[in-house]
Amino acid sequence: MTRNKHRTLVKVLILAPYLILLYILQSTVFTHLTLFGAKPLILPLAVVGVALYGGHAEGGVFGLFAGMLMDLSYNQPTVEFTLILTLTGLVLGILSDTALVQGFPSFLVSAVLALLLCSAWQLLALAVLKGAPVAVIAGIALRQSLCSLVFAVPLYYMSRFLSRVM
Amino acid sequence: MKDYITKKGIFIAAAAIVVSVAAAISVAVSGGRAGFASLLSEPFFKPVKSAMTSLVGSLEHLYDYMYRYDEIVAENNRLRGRVAELEQEYREYTEISEENERLRSLLGFAERHEDFAMEPVSVISWTASNFASSFTVSKGSNAGIALYDPVVDENGHLVGQVTSVTSGSSTVTTVIDTSSHVGALIYETGATGVISGEFELFRDGRLKFSYFSAEIPLTVGDTVVTSGSGGLYPAGLVIGTVTGISVSSSGLDPYAVVEPAADIGDSTHLFVITDFAVSE
Repeated sequence: MTRNKHRTLVKVLILAPYLILLYILQSTVFTHLTLFGAKPLILPLAVVGVALYGGHAEGGVFGLFAGMLMDLSYNQPTVEFTLILTLTGLVLGILSDTALVQGFPSFLVSAVLALLLCSAWQLLALAVLKGAPVAVIAGIALRQSLCSLVFAVPLYYMSRFLSRVM
Repeated sequence: MKDYITKKGIFIAAAAIVVSVAAAISVAVSGGRAGFASLLSEPFFKPVKSAMTSLVGSLEHLYDYMYRYDEIVAENNRLRGRVAELEQEYREYTEISEENERLRSLLGFAERHEDFAMEPVSVISWTASNFASSFTVSKGSNAGIALYDPVVDENGHLVGQVTSVTSGSSTVTTVIDTSSHVGALIYETGATGVISGEFELFRDGRLKFSYFSAEIPLTVGDTVVTSGSGGLYPAGLVIGTVTGISVSSSGLDPYAVVEPAADIGDSTHLFVITDFAVSE
């Protein structure tokens, strides 16, 4: 086995259980836990962390699977999070490879943007497809982003720790 | 010094004799009750005795602790085990008791609706979405569950409707979801309308009853039940209770706010109505 293949295998063996653990938390614990009247989203934060420390390839692949699991946890057949989180992982990974400094400020700003992107996408879909009142769903989206940010610190340190292990 | 000791000794001996004689006389006179010595000494000695007794008890306990430590540890472990067993038995008893309660309620509900075929299901997981209310249950088409089957709790209160089915599981969208619309009527007056989920009421887990005739008055406390129109739901399933009456933002359409009868967020064991007689 070449060195590169070995490294890839190690990354898969570390990131796959991490993703599964987060998915289980997202779809069991966090569906019952509400902060500021909303359920937190932790998978987008994990994608941000992996992309920031792993680059575009890891970010993109992790985002793809995280998005699929996120759609699963939403009980929806659509692929909205699959698309959004893959894009988030890819774009943030490219930025991390080229311009972003790896650290908590970058993580926090990226996490806020990723959460707002997820919320904006949901808001747009609901407003356009269901004619939902924008003011009301914007309030829910804002609370969702805020309560998710509570978990930014542990997920940042977890991502940093995993990147060092890999 | 010798004189001093002698004088003191004589004095003390004399005092002792006087006290002894007085004590003997007082015991003889009291006829078995406590003599004056006891009465005089009690205020002083009682707390001292108590303290000493307590100290001795503590020393005995310490002695036991030191010399019977292994025995006590073994006994402690045995008792811990027994407590764990009893706690487990209590949990099982509580679970059985709760299940019994649910089945009794269901039996009453099933007896009232002999035309219903019901499939018991367990809630596996809830949606992570903040904009929807749905959950996955443990059975699917293999158990006879089909798309749009109504889902109720053990009391027959409407919880939602099956909106997606696989062979081994189903997704149930609850009545408070904004995509939910159910034909309903007010049990007390017969006023018909539509129960639906609304984003404005979603956070509080409440429903909107609208499109009803303004001529029939609505009252807080009225019971809302399924009308059976459309054939998707059987008639008469309790949806909830009117908790408030309001007017839409346009000011033209009155609506009632309804509190669901089913404990939607905390339900774990539910029943899918797989077949029922459609009322005409």
